[in-house]
Amino acid sequence: MQEDLALLATEQARKLGADYADARLETHYNESITIANGKVQRAVINQKRGIGVRTLVKGAWGFQSTTNLSRAGVKGAVSTAFRIAKASSKHVSKPVKLASTKGHRDSYAVAVKTDLEDVAFEEKLKTMMKWEKNLHTSKAVVRGLIEYTGIKIDKLFVNSEGANIGFANSLAWAELKADAKKGELTQSYDRDVGHSGGYEIFKKEDMEKIAREVGKKADSLLKAQPAKEDKNVQVILNPNYVALLCHEIVGHPSEADRVLGREAAWAGTTWWAGKIGQKIGSEYFTVYDDPTVPGTLGFYRYDDEGVKAERKFLAEKGVLKMHMHSRETAAEFRVEPNAGMRAITYEYIPLIRMSNTFFAEGDWKYEEMIEETKRGILVVDMRHPSIDDKRYNWTISAKEGYEIKDGELTTHLRDVQLTSTAPAFFKSLDAASKKAEILPLPGCGKGDPMQALYVGNGGPHLRGVANILGVK
Amino acid sequence: MAKAKALDLKGVGKQVLKFGEQLDADETEAYVVSNRVLTIRLVNNAVFEAKGVHDIGVGLRVLKNGGLGFSSTADFSSNSLKKSVQAALDASKARKLPFKYSFPSPAKLPKVLGSYDTRLAKLPGDKAVELAYDMIEESLAHSRKVVDNAGVLNVVEFHNVVMNSHGLATKDDGTFFEASLTATAKEGSKSSEGSDATAGRSLKELKPKEIGKKAAGMAVDGLKAKLLKEGTYEVILDPEPAVNVSRYISMLCSSMIAKLYYPLFLDKLGKQVASKQLTVVDNPLMTGGLDSAPADEEGAPSKKVTLLEKGVLRNFVYDSFYGAMEKKRSTSSGIRASMGVGVSAFPGKNYNGEPVPVPRNSYIVPGKWKQDETIEDTKDGLLAQRFHYTRLTNPTRGDFTSVLRMGLYRVEKGEVVGAIQKSRIIDNLLDILKNVNAVSDKLVIAGSWGSYAHTPVIRTKAHVAPV
Repeated sequence: MQEDLALLATEQARKLGADYADARLETHYNESITIANGKVQRAVINQKRGIGVRTLVKGAWGFQSTTNLSRAGVKGAVSTAFRIAKASSKHVSKPVKLASTKGHRDSYAVAVKTDLEDVAFEEKLKTMMKWEKNLHTSKAVVRGLIEYTGIKIDKLFVNSEGANIGFANSLAWAELKADAKKGELTQSYDRDVGHSGGYEIFKKEDMEKIAREVGKKADSLLKAQPAKEDKNVQVILNPNYVALLCHEIVGHPSEADRVLGREAAWAGTTWWAGKIGQKIGSEYFTVYDDPTVPGTLGFYRYDDEGVKAERKFLAEKGVLKMHMHSRETAAEFRVEPNAGMRAITYEYIPLIRMSNTFFAEGDWKYEEMIEETKRGILVVDMRHPSIDDKRYNWTISAKEGYEIKDGELTTHLRDVQLTSTAPAFFKSLDAASKKAEILPLPGCGKGDPMQALYVGNGGPHLRGVANILGVK
Repeated sequence: MAKAKALDLKGVGKQVLKFGEQLDADETEAYVVSNRVLTIRLVNNAVFEAKGVHDIGVGLRVLKNGGLGFSSTADFSSNSLKKSVQAALDASKARKLPFKYSFPSPAKLPKVLGSYDTRLAKLPGDKAVELAYDMIEESLAHSRKVVDNAGVLNVVEFHNVVMNSHGLATKDDGTFFEASLTATAKEGSKSSEGSDATAGRSLKELKPKEIGKKAAGMAVDGLKAKLLKEGTYEVILDPEPAVNVSRYISMLCSSMIAKLYYPLFLDKLGKQVASKQLTVVDNPLMTGGLDSAPADEEGAPSKKVTLLEKGVLRNFVYDSFYGAMEKKRSTSSGIRASMGVGVSAFPGKNYNGEPVPVPRNSYIVPGKWKQDETIEDTKDGLLAQRFHYTRLTNPTRGDFTSVLRMGLYRVEKGEVVGAIQKSRIIDNLLDILKNVNAVSDKLVIAGSWGSYAHTPVIRTKAHVAPV
């Protein structure tokens, strides 16, 4: 990495009169493969490198990125970032202040056993063709789909306060999906396998076996019964479904920029603004955001402002404890910054993002949760969400479900769709299993222009109360 | 915006073709892009951040011994370009195509007007800040009840060239903007939101004060909103919700998306999939169309394609690759969409991905209804002006939901009688399409969050519940 260019950026910003500046000098390698029904639909390798420079001038932010990594190119980017920040400073109602943080100097890397680039593209395609073939467990499986992504990022962060942090990241994940059809009825099933690390995850996991399980699941859903509309149903959510629920109705509303109305234009705000310290859920409403968990998609030790990462207690035993912060929002809330800022590439200004957000484990055995449910539904694996702008009312569909009668799993259900409000659901939680999982969730969208980022989400099995939507 | 020295995109393309030849590729293609994006974000009645991106890169494809390879790079040095061509060639060894495929041949291109505006391209950053702030000023001036505003102005200038070893060489220079504002009004303990958003390809189309006024007006209306009784209503979809619906139609008509992700129209060619009121075309030749261009993003001449004709599915769209795969002719619908996570997806052109077949400038063809008539003819219904978080929660069945976050009004006996509190549409997309019973006679530009298009107003029936 050309450290001198990153240092040049912050020095140049200082010379121009910026109150603060930081620079992210990055090299990216991305590869993605899509295979459907035995044919390679897409096979892509992307490489890029560049620098993103952020300046703070008279309380206003300016940002410019460039791929021109000459000294003149970097100086030009700094100059633009400075100029537009200065222009913006005329219309700032509350000048930006940054909570203080140590200027860390460090360098770290994700543990990788098999570098993504050390496995030939040809071998990857052959391997993934086999996965796809294994999705077709019966004639009913009419479509198989594999979508693989591998990412390597070398990043150097420096700022005008002396921070200098290098991070070599590597991530890989794959989605395996099968569509099964019988007459007019189509059912689909999918699973994500992924981690921060190298290609070794696809050797560690038995991907062909997972593919067969996905194919069989899609097929079995053709025989399942449609879920019926019902109110106030006791539901046990599996960790995969909890992952999306946690993401949408805990993670996003915890972002301090959202709380402050800074995402109001599109994404929305949050119903729990101003409720820190208040009890808004049952004792089973305990949620963390933790970037320090190795092997997860949300892993990092320092965020894109150079703040050292640690576990954040968003909610504890029903009480809302803290938000995810940038240095700026931390200053507004008069709290310590907690390393919530990330950008997908040097081309983007960082935003407050989830890392690994998950419900805490509980004190129940999963089997006991089922046994002690007289009438309810076991809701299995996330499908799609639609959440209102305050993250209050939510609707999330699931891939499948099972009716619970007198403590036993009975009828297999398809087309399960739950709806509730966040406070009602948090208060209804009355059990959580002992084992929590953090699952890969690649594709969290935020910002304008949009930044699609990879995070981890999850939790244990949770039991609460929700309504089941009837669908046509 | 355009002060930097112009890049020689054609020169980069030539180098790629030269390296393709040197490295023995059978065919080589280069898609070279330069994007400049300036974003002014407005938050809490102020300018929150101003950010600029100059994004350049080349997406290149090679064919060798029946194999296809792709790679991209943002580094235009000879060394990097050669390395990228080699990476694509390596990838082509692994990806043998089970069908015959060749890159598009040169062809005469149609002329498309209204896609580049020098004034917008040269808009200085400080002027863009002022224009963005005008939206806030107007909103605050509209009513004292307006207490907060958030929004964005994106200004984009792009240049791209497509070149391949058949001698094809096309170029496209474009500009556009996207502007939006969400206003919050308060009265006592009540609070309500309103928004307006538009896009265009020239500076003269940008009317920030109108945006501020409309957003504020909707927010103030909402202060008197009443709770809706759950039920099935006739729902007039104003331009923004109508764009949401037409975007789904567009996706369902992509040969790739239909096959891989949203199969609702699969096997339905020639069948009635929507109301007879709905005719949908993809017309990248349209003057001032938001995605109009003389050629698609693999250099094939733009053409108009009918997707739905009086509700009957007439065509899926194809690029050259998916056309060859399915033994269909390309409809010149290849675009380079960003398909990945962790990959840049700016407004503008994208070089990170292979072409995929997607309607480029599709819209519902205007009908015979005056916009006012859609209201006058509604006895018991709703007027929806904004959708939020619209999703097919079950893409194989068409389960459809969207939050009616703001701008929802009750219509009774042909008149708008008052605002309605936040509600949710829960229905099936195919039923929503089949129930369209009115289409207005004018196209306007609307949209949200990076997705804008021309559209008329439509009226349908849908199940709506308060949230």
